[in-house]
Amino acid sequence: MDGDWDEVARVPFPPPGVHALPTQVTTMTFDTTQELLWAGNDYGRVTSFLSTELQQHTSFKAHQAADGPVRQILVNSKGVVVLGSKDVHMAHRRGPPIWHLRHDDMKDLRCMSFTSKGTAEIIAAGLQDSMFVIDLIKGEVVKQVRTERQYSIMKRGRYICAATRNGSVDLLDPVTFAVVKTWNAHSALINDMDAQHDFIVTCGYSLRQGQNYMLDPFLNVFDIRKMASMPPIPFPAGAAYVRMHPRMLTTSIVVSQSGQMHVVDLMNPNTSNVRQANVLSYLSMFEIAPSGEAMALTDAECLIHLWGSPSKLHFVDLPTPVEFATPEEPIPQVDWTPESPLNSVGLPYYRQILASSWPELTSDVGAPPVKFDPQFLASLKPTDFALYGRNMRGVRRNQFEDTRSVHKSANSGLKAPKFLSEKARDLAKSESSSDKADELSNS
Amino acid sequence: ALNSELFRELENGRIARLMMKLGTINERQEFEGDRAWSENGERYMLKLFRDYVFHQVDSNGNPVMDIGHMIRCLNKLDAGVDERICLTSRDEQTSFVVSYKELKKQLANAFNELIKTAKPG
Repeated sequence: MDGDWDEVARVPFPPPGVHALPTQVTTMTFDTTQELLWAGNDYGRVTSFLSTELQQHTSFKAHQAADGPVRQILVNSKGVVVLGSKDVHMAHRRGPPIWHLRHDDMKDLRCMSFTSKGTAEIIAAGLQDSMFVIDLIKGEVVKQVRTERQYSIMKRGRYICAATRNGSVDLLDPVTFAVVKTWNAHSALINDMDAQHDFIVTCGYSLRQGQNYMLDPFLNVFDIRKMASMPPIPFPAGAAYVRMHPRMLTTSIVVSQSGQMHVVDLMNPNTSNVRQANVLSYLSMFEIAPSGEAMALTDAECLIHLWGSPSKLHFVDLPTPVEFATPEEPIPQVDWTPESPLNSVGLPYYRQILASSWPELTSDVGAPPVKFDPQFLASLKPTDFALYGRNMRGVRRNQFEDTRSVHKSANSGLKAPKFLSEKARDLAKSESSSDKADELSNS
Repeated sequence: ALNSELFRELENGRIARLMMKLGTINERQEFEGDRAWSENGERYMLKLFRDYVFHQVDSNGNPVMDIGHMIRCLNKLDAGVDERICLTSRDEQTSFVVSYKELKKQLANAFNELIKTAKPG
C-alpha cells in the first residue's frame, strides 16, 4: 500500500424503499473487466457502483426478498452471476437478466467458485448435502455432486478451496471435485479466506473458555506447494478479514473488525505497513480490486468505503468501457398540431422485419355487437356513469362471443329472410336434432 | 395532393399495429405470478418500457404529454435500433440499461407466445 492511500469515497447501500433505512452489504466483488464494484443486500438486490466516486450505476433484483440475502457475486465476460440461497441468477452488467436457475435441491446455498473450465462453469455449494455444477453459457445444471461436507466460503486457487462450518478448509480438485486434502485452519470456524498462487490464508474464531467465540489473533497460512501449513502470522488486534494482493504474490492484507489494516509479506512477516480505516461501527467485509489499486470496506452502518491512492485509483488495469444509455441526439423541433401527421417523426434506418409487422391472422371486423340478456341488465344498478353489478352472464371477463352464429341471431329476434331451399334444409336439420335445438333455444 | 395526403398517413398503420402488440402483451392477468414478468424476469423490461414511453413526467412529477417522444420511442422499437436507454422501476430501485434491439426481441417473444396459444379471432 502506497503512502498516499486514503479513503476516497464513502456511499451508503441504497435502502429497499423510499422511506426505508439503508441496508447492509451482504456480499461484494470488484468487476474484473469494468470499473465497477458489485454489491448485494439482504433483499436479493444487486447494485453496481461506478469507479472512484462509487456512483450508483445499474441495479436489479436477483431473487425475491423472501429468499433472503445475496450470498455471493462472480463476474465473467458475459455478465454477473448472483448466488441466492435457493437460486442462481445471471444478468448482463447493464441489468437485464440472462437466465435464472432454481432447483428443488437448492436449499441453503452459500458459496460458489469457477471450476477447471475458466469462467464458463461454476460449482455452487452451501449448508446442504449436494453441490451443483452449472454451465454459465447455457444456464443449466450440468451435474449434481453429493457431498458430506458443508461449505460456507469458496475461493478458486490452484484448487477450489472450500471452508467448512467447523474451521477446516477442503482442497477440492477443480475437475472431479474430490477432496484432495483437508486442512484444520481454526478450532471453531472460519470468518474469511482467500487463495492465490501458492497460498491459502484464513481468519477465524476459536472458542475461549468453552463458550465465547473470539477472533484468533493471527492469520493462518497454508502452503499449497508443500501441502503443509506455515507458521501463523501474528495480528494482535484480531484478524477478521484477509485478501491476498493480486499483484504481489506473497503479500496479504489483513483487517481487524475495528478497521486496523496491515499489509504483510507472508515470506517476511516482521515488516508490515499499518493503516486505520475510519469506522464508527465495525467492519463487515473487505475486498481488493484486481488491479491491487483499490480496496472496498463495508461497515455495520451500511456504508461502503473505497480506499486507494487518490491519483492512481482504478479497479482494473485495462478496463472495457462501462455501457451507459446512449446520449440523446438533438431532436428536430416539431410543432404538434391536430393536423401534424405522425410521420413527421422519422423511422430509423432498418434492415430487419419491423416489430410492428403483424402475422397473418384472420380477423373479423364486422361482427354485430354482443346482445345482453335483459335479465342480466335488470340485475345491474344504474348510476350516472354506468350500470354496474356482478358478472352473472356465465362467461369469463372479456370472453370472446361469437355473435355471428345462427343460434345467437335467432335469439336476438333479427332473422334474415331465407330462400325456400334454405328453409327446406333448415327444416330437415331441425327434424333430425329437434330435441337438441329446443333445449338450446330454451336455455 | 391526394398522394401527399396519403403519404402523411402512411405510417399510422405501422404505429397502430405496434401499439396493438404492446397492448395485447402488457398487464395481462394470466402473466401475473409468471416469473418471466416478475422483477427478476426477462419480460420485466417491457413493462418498464411502457412506462418510459407513455408515463413520462417532468421534474415535478407532472405528466409530459409529448406525442413526439412517444412516436420516436415506438419507431426506434419498431426498427430495433442499437441505441440504449435507461429503464427505471416505479420504486426507483431498479435501473436497467437496455437497447431497443433487445426490447424488440422481448416483444417478439412475448407476442409469439400469445399467438401460439391464441384461437384465431
